[in-house]
Amino acid sequence: MSEHYPALLVILPLLASFFISAAGWLRPVCCFPLALAALGSSLLVSLGLLGDVISGGPVSYWMGGWPPPWGIYYRVDYLNALVLAVVCAVGFVNLIAARPSVEKDFPEKAGPFYTLYVLFVTGLLGMVATGDAFNLYVLLEIAAITGYALIALGKGRAALSSLHYVFLGTIGACFYLLGVGYLYIITGSLNMEDIARLLPPLYESKVVTVAFAILMVGVWLKMGFFPLHAWLPNAYTYAPSPVSSLVAPLMTKVMVYVMIRMVLTVFTVDFAFLVLRLNEVVVWLAVIAIVMGSLLALAEKDVKRMLTFIVVAEVGYMVGGFWLGNQAGFTGAVLHILNDALMTLCLFLAVGNIVHVNGDSRWESLPGLFRTMPWTMGALVVGALSIIGVPPTCGFFSKWYLLLGAIQGGHYGFLVALLFSSLVSVVLFFRIFEIGFFEPFGASHGSAHGEGGPAIQEAPLGMLVPLWMTALGLILVGLYTGEIVGRVIRHAVPGMML
Amino acid sequence: MKTLGLIIVGLVGAGLVYATIDFPPFGDPKSPASLHVSPRYLEKTVEETAVPNAVTSVLGDYRGFDTMFETTVIFCAGVACFLLLRIPRRRSSGPRQYRHRLTGLTFRIKEGGEIFLPLREFEPVDSIWTPHDFIIEKVCRYLIPFIQLFGLYVIAHGHHSPGGGFQGGVILGASIILLSVSHNLRTALNRMGEKISALFSPVGVFIFAGTGALCLVLGYRFLDYQALAALLPGGPIMARSHGILLVEVGVGMAVMGTMVWIFKNLASRGRYDEGL
Repeated sequence: MSEHYPALLVILPLLASFFISAAGWLRPVCCFPLALAALGSSLLVSLGLLGDVISGGPVSYWMGGWPPPWGIYYRVDYLNALVLAVVCAVGFVNLIAARPSVEKDFPEKAGPFYTLYVLFVTGLLGMVATGDAFNLYVLLEIAAITGYALIALGKGRAALSSLHYVFLGTIGACFYLLGVGYLYIITGSLNMEDIARLLPPLYESKVVTVAFAILMVGVWLKMGFFPLHAWLPNAYTYAPSPVSSLVAPLMTKVMVYVMIRMVLTVFTVDFAFLVLRLNEVVVWLAVIAIVMGSLLALAEKDVKRMLTFIVVAEVGYMVGGFWLGNQAGFTGAVLHILNDALMTLCLFLAVGNIVHVNGDSRWESLPGLFRTMPWTMGALVVGALSIIGVPPTCGFFSKWYLLLGAIQGGHYGFLVALLFSSLVSVVLFFRIFEIGFFEPFGASHGSAHGEGGPAIQEAPLGMLVPLWMTALGLILVGLYTGEIVGRVIRHAVPGMML
Repeated sequence: MKTLGLIIVGLVGAGLVYATIDFPPFGDPKSPASLHVSPRYLEKTVEETAVPNAVTSVLGDYRGFDTMFETTVIFCAGVACFLLLRIPRRRSSGPRQYRHRLTGLTFRIKEGGEIFLPLREFEPVDSIWTPHDFIIEKVCRYLIPFIQLFGLYVIAHGHHSPGGGFQGGVILGASIILLSVSHNLRTALNRMGEKISALFSPVGVFIFAGTGALCLVLGYRFLDYQALAALLPGGPIMARSHGILLVEVGVGMAVMGTMVWIFKNLASRGRYDEGL
């Protein structure tokens, strides 16, 4: 059975989504258990794959039994095995936390909601696992369409922000497709490794250069890389909380993975770093992204909206780390995909709990929260410490590698940007802690609670357990960083960067 | 801002055109795209899949995995429209009136009331309703069965001529939409209810993915239709051809169901009450 893992990983949730959709009409109670079973089995398969890759090296799978240049194949190596496990884990944990808010906010739409939820995760898994440039586009479409629909489900300006996202996301996907089309014209192949094999004699061709440029811009647009981030804050703010805690940790991270995969496997490191010599420029772009993302976050007075700008800054971390072009930077970038997915999940889940209980996440709703929602705020503190980069949370370790990469590469601009952003994060989160802890518990709740202070009004257990699983995960991943880097990421570093 | 946008668009366009300098000449038989993977598709399609139409064999078999997800994209679009547009509780739209065509009697239906009247005999009386043209109604009634028959032909004959699940499904879906446009939404809903169209799309995609999963269960790789030789007559090569047919039927169902489903949601603004 284990040789079928790469296919099962995607097929199980895909098949389940059809059953969930049908169950929405015939037996709505079954929707959630089906979704849980689908993502749970995917998680197990992805862990099995990770184990296989660690023990036996990369795995590949020919869809339909056709050999690579003709058919589509999936290839799981050290790099994407890790990302696959993260995507599954985040999707699964967030699904558990999603249930109370779904039942509260749109109970009659649970069927289609869970269908799109599972399909979104399926799309992301396929994007990460595939070894075919066009197949990646098809799965990107699935993840995008389901993402737009889920985001538009929110209240207020959600539909408008989603429409904005639809326009920009479609442009991004089109650019990616154009890039792949140009590559196909010049090489005649869609298979990633096959393209890489055919490209070297064509490095001087204008087609390859333009294909690279347009493909990168498309991917950057989809990941919200700074000047192209305009769609991101509104879309993630107005989305319903179970959706923002799904899309925000995963979509941008998977697009960062796609960027790394495209440079590593399709265009090859030699082309990107030696022929085009883009690294210096892109790292400076990342510096701007980090600084601007942090500054814009500083201007916000809504926790959720502030987090979306932190996501923008974090994208800069990963892009910059990768384009530093040395081993430490690469390790930091890949490790940060894992860590940032977990940190973002933890923070968005915590905010989701606050929204679930209080109705919104603006600063006016924060006072006294440490007393009324101690568990939620405790997890928020862990997530915040990780974003700031305090050991032993995992955020510290990836930042450490990124700093190391900046020093080794002699790129002090990036170094300063990283430190600046950490300092800004300290300010951002301690402002929240201050309001939540010290500010007098407002007149809104008044004296009804009497002398002993306000009663505890915590989110339901179904939301607290996944939140704390994530928070503990942050610390665990931090403690096992050595293992993760030594056993997995070290093998993914391309030869040129060693 | 507008000028800036225009400049960017101009630059990107210029970049794309600039790259065409190094394109292989148009229609060049020696271009990489016609030398690398396509020759095998063109030369071996009959030998390997028993399907003469190379487009069908590439879509259904060589790159069938892509096609499965393309069908899933359509399914996603249907679910997305439903999720965002459908209004589950009936919104009060004020009282409505219906006139009996033969006797001229008028019924008033209270706010939020159910429509129980057989719509063939009654016509709604309101400002947005326009009476239907007798000729259009009759012509469409006689046309629709033939349109549907042609749709089935297009699905079934995709192996030999241009066609297949997507095109056939669109024709089938369009026939139901034509019924709704020429009569009214409720007539179309009586023929193909909301639940049926909503179940058609997941069932259609499930036929596709399920065929693939069946191959996996039978011990081959996912979507490797050879495995079906154990269940169908004609050996492994014919099994590929049969597998493609099965999959095309699934695609046709999914496309038809989703088209009708999306149309109903859009046309009635999610109320499934009155509409086009």
